[in-house]
Amino acid sequence: MGRLVLRRLLATVPVLLLVTAGVFTLIHLTPGDPIDVMMSESADATVKENLRRELGMDQPIYVQYATWMGRLLRGDLGHSIRNREPVIENVGKRIRPSLQLAGLAMAISLIIATPIGILSAARRNTSVDRVGTSFALFGICMPNFLLALLLIFFFGVKLRWLPISGYTDPLEEPWLGLRSLVLPAITLGLALAAVVTRTLRSSMLEALSEDYVRTARAKGLSEWRVIRGHVLKNALIPVVTVLGLQLGTLIGGAVITEYVFALPGVGRLVVDAVFARDYPLVQGVVLLIAVGFILSNLLVDLLYGWIDPRIRYR
Amino acid sequence: MRSSASDADLDRRDFLHVCALATSVLSPGLAVLPASAQTTPKKGGTLRVGFYLEASTMDPHLSGSKVDRQIYHNIYEPLLTLDVKLGIKPGLAESWQQPEPKTLILKLRQGVKFQDGTDFNAEAVRFNFNRMKTEPKSVRKGEVASIESVDVVDAYTVKINLRRPDAALLATLTDRAGMMVSPKVAQERGSELERNAKGAGTGPFEFVEWIKDDHLLIKRNDSYWNKQGGPYLDRIRYRPIPDDTVKLQSLQSGEIDVIDYVQPRDVAAVKADKNVSVLDVPSLAAFAYQLNQTRPPFNSKALRQAVAYTLDLEQIVKGVWLNVGVPANGPVPPTSWAYDKSIPYIKRDLAKAKAKLAEGGKPTGFPFTITTANIPINVQEAEVIQAQLSEAGMQVKIKLVDAATQLSDGNTKNFDMISYQWSGRPDPDGNIYQFFKTTPGMSLNWSGISNPQIDALLDKTREASSREERKKLYGELTRILQDELPMVYIVHPIEPKAFSLKVQGYEPIPDGMMRFRTVWLK
Repeated sequence: MGRLVLRRLLATVPVLLLVTAGVFTLIHLTPGDPIDVMMSESADATVKENLRRELGMDQPIYVQYATWMGRLLRGDLGHSIRNREPVIENVGKRIRPSLQLAGLAMAISLIIATPIGILSAARRNTSVDRVGTSFALFGICMPNFLLALLLIFFFGVKLRWLPISGYTDPLEEPWLGLRSLVLPAITLGLALAAVVTRTLRSSMLEALSEDYVRTARAKGLSEWRVIRGHVLKNALIPVVTVLGLQLGTLIGGAVITEYVFALPGVGRLVVDAVFARDYPLVQGVVLLIAVGFILSNLLVDLLYGWIDPRIRYR
Repeated sequence: MRSSASDADLDRRDFLHVCALATSVLSPGLAVLPASAQTTPKKGGTLRVGFYLEASTMDPHLSGSKVDRQIYHNIYEPLLTLDVKLGIKPGLAESWQQPEPKTLILKLRQGVKFQDGTDFNAEAVRFNFNRMKTEPKSVRKGEVASIESVDVVDAYTVKINLRRPDAALLATLTDRAGMMVSPKVAQERGSELERNAKGAGTGPFEFVEWIKDDHLLIKRNDSYWNKQGGPYLDRIRYRPIPDDTVKLQSLQSGEIDVIDYVQPRDVAAVKADKNVSVLDVPSLAAFAYQLNQTRPPFNSKALRQAVAYTLDLEQIVKGVWLNVGVPANGPVPPTSWAYDKSIPYIKRDLAKAKAKLAEGGKPTGFPFTITTANIPINVQEAEVIQAQLSEAGMQVKIKLVDAATQLSDGNTKNFDMISYQWSGRPDPDGNIYQFFKTTPGMSLNWSGISNPQIDALLDKTREASSREERKKLYGELTRILQDELPMVYIVHPIEPKAFSLKVQGYEPIPDGMMRFRTVWLK
C-alpha cells in the first residue's frame, strides 16, 4: 500500500509539469496585460514599464516560467499581482468555503440519490423507476444558474426561509453558516445526485443479475437484506468513482454557483484572476486544483480496495 | 423613428427634469428623503450595501476602480467637495484663492484629526501631493501633473505652484487626487495600506476589516470633526454581489439596504415594487465608441462620418437603454455646467451616409469589426448598431472580449471600432482632454487622433479662468468632434440607485458616489 501511494505520487510530477506549462503558455497567449488592468486610468507609460520590470514581466516567457518553477521548488507560489498577497494566502482564505460547499453538496446528493437509485433498481420498469429516471433527467438537464435563480426566488425572495447570497463560516456560526450554504449546496448537489442516481441504478441492476444474488434469495433472505448485504456494496465502486471525479470539480469548478450566491470560493478566485490576468495567482490556483484532483483520484483508488477486498494493487 | 430637433430637445428636457428631481429629491413616494424633511435622524444600525464588484485597493492614490471611490468617499475626505449641482465647496480646505493662474492657495480646516489620532495640517497635504507624484505605482500622476510643487506657508495654509494654468484642478481635488491619507499610516504601513486602511482617513467612517470577496466593514468615526448632520450609522457593510439579478433580489428580500446601480432592464420592475425606492441619479458618464484613425478603414474621415450618420441614437437609447439615459451629442453630459444644449446629437441620415461612403471610396459599404465587452447590454447595443449599419451596406463583425483584452486592444490600437464606457468626472476636462489630446503616452486616446486645432482648444480650456469662457470652448470642441469623429458618442446614462424604505437622508450627487454621512435608518 505504501509503495503504491509513493509510486502514484511520483507519477503526478510529470502531470503537474504538463499542467503548469500548459496553463502558463495559455494564460500568457491570451490577449490582455495585467499592468493595463491594474493601471487602467493611468496614462504614464514609464510607470507601467517600471512595474512590468519590477514584476519580471519584461522577460521572455520561458525565463518567466523557469523563474516561477524555481520559486515553486523552494515552496514559494509567488504573490498575486492584483492584491500583492502571497498566492498561498489567497487560496488559504478561499479553500474553506469551497470545501464546505463541496462537502455539503456531496452529502445532499447522496441523501437524495441513494434511496432513489436503490428504489429505481429494485423496482425496475415500474412507476417508481420512471419517477426516479425523470428526476435524474431533470437534474442533468437543468442548468445550474437557472436552478440557482429559481431556488433564490422561491426560498429567498418569496418564502424568505434562507439567505439569498453571502457566506458565513459554519465553523464560527454553525446555524447561520449552514443556512448560507444550503441553497448553493442544493444547486450543486442536485446535478450530482442525478448522475449518482443513474450510476447507482445501473450498477445495482448489474449486481442484481449476479449468481450470488440468486443464491442469497434462495437462502430465503428478505429482498432488503439481499440489497443491503450483497448488492449495494458490490454496486458502490462505480458510484465512488463518480464521486471521486466530481469532488475536484465541486471544489475548483463551482464558479457559476459561487458567482450567483456571491460565495468567496476557489472557483471565483481563479476566474477573477483570469479576468485580471493575474498570472501568478492563476498558475498557483490551477496547480493546487490539479494536486487536489490527483489526490482525490488516489483516494478513490484506495477506497476500491476497502470496498472490495478482492481488489489488490501490486 | 423620431428624428426631429424638437424631439431631441424634449429628451434633453426630460433628462434635466430627472436631474432636478433627483437633486432636489422631490420625487413622490421616495423614502430617501433629506433628513430635514423627515423625523429627527437617529443614530445606530448597520447599512448593508451591495456592489457588483469587489474593491481593488484601499489606497486612494493607487486606485483605478469606481467601486473603490464609492468606499473612499466615506473613509477619506478630499480637500474640496461637490454639492448636488456639481459646484465646488469646502472640504478639508476651508477656502481657496487663486492670486494668479499658476498659484492656488488653500486654507485648511483646523482641528481635524486623522483617525489614527495624528493632526491634519499643511505638512500632511504636502506629503500627500508628493506621494501622488513620486510613488512608483501612483495612478494619480496624470491628475496632479500640473502641480509643480507644494509649499507649506503656515501650519494650515499651503501654496500650490502650478506648471501651467489648470482650470480643472479644483474639480480634480474633489475626488481621489484630493483625498488625504495619514502620513503616519502611509509611511508605517507601506503597501499594507492597500488592504488595511485603519486610521488612514479623516472621514465620517473608519475602516474596520476587509474580507476579500465577502465584505468590507466600516464604522462611525465618533471623533469626526463636523458635528452637524451625521454620521449616524454605526456601521456600513459593503458586499460584492456579482450577479445583478441576485443583487436586486437581495434588496427586495431585505438582505441588503442599498444597491449602487439598477440595470435598465430592471428599472421598471423595481419602480413598481412598493418595498423599494429608486432614485434616478443622472451621471457624468459618456458611453461611446472610439474609431481607430491610425489604420484603414477609419483613417478616412468620410467613412467615420458615414458610421455616425447611419446610427440612430434615439432608437439605441430607447431600445437598448430603455430610456435610462439620453442620446449623447458629445463627451459633456447634460449634468455638467459645460453642456451646450444648442448642439443636437447627430441624427440618422442614410442619404448623407451613402454620400459619405462614396466620398470615402466605398460606395457599396465596407467590412469592419466592433470590439466590445462581453456584457449583456453591450452585446445588445453592438447588435443593434450592426443591424443599423448594415442598412447602409457596412458589414460589421462583433468581437466580444473581456475587460483586460479590451484595454490591451485599445492601448495597442488593435481595433477598428471599440466601445468605451467612461464613468465621467465632475469637470468636463476629465471627459475630454485625455481622450483627444496629442501626447505620447496618453493612453485613453485610443483613436489616435492628432489635430492641432483640437490640441490648441484643449489647452485653452485649461487656461481659461471663467466658466463662461470654458463653456464656449467646450461647445466649440463638441462641434469639431462631431465633424472629426474620433469617437461616436451614444448615450449619457442615468445611474438609478435603489434603497430599502428604511434608508433616510441620502443626498444624491451626480458624480454617482454614495456618501453616507447624512444617512440614517428608520
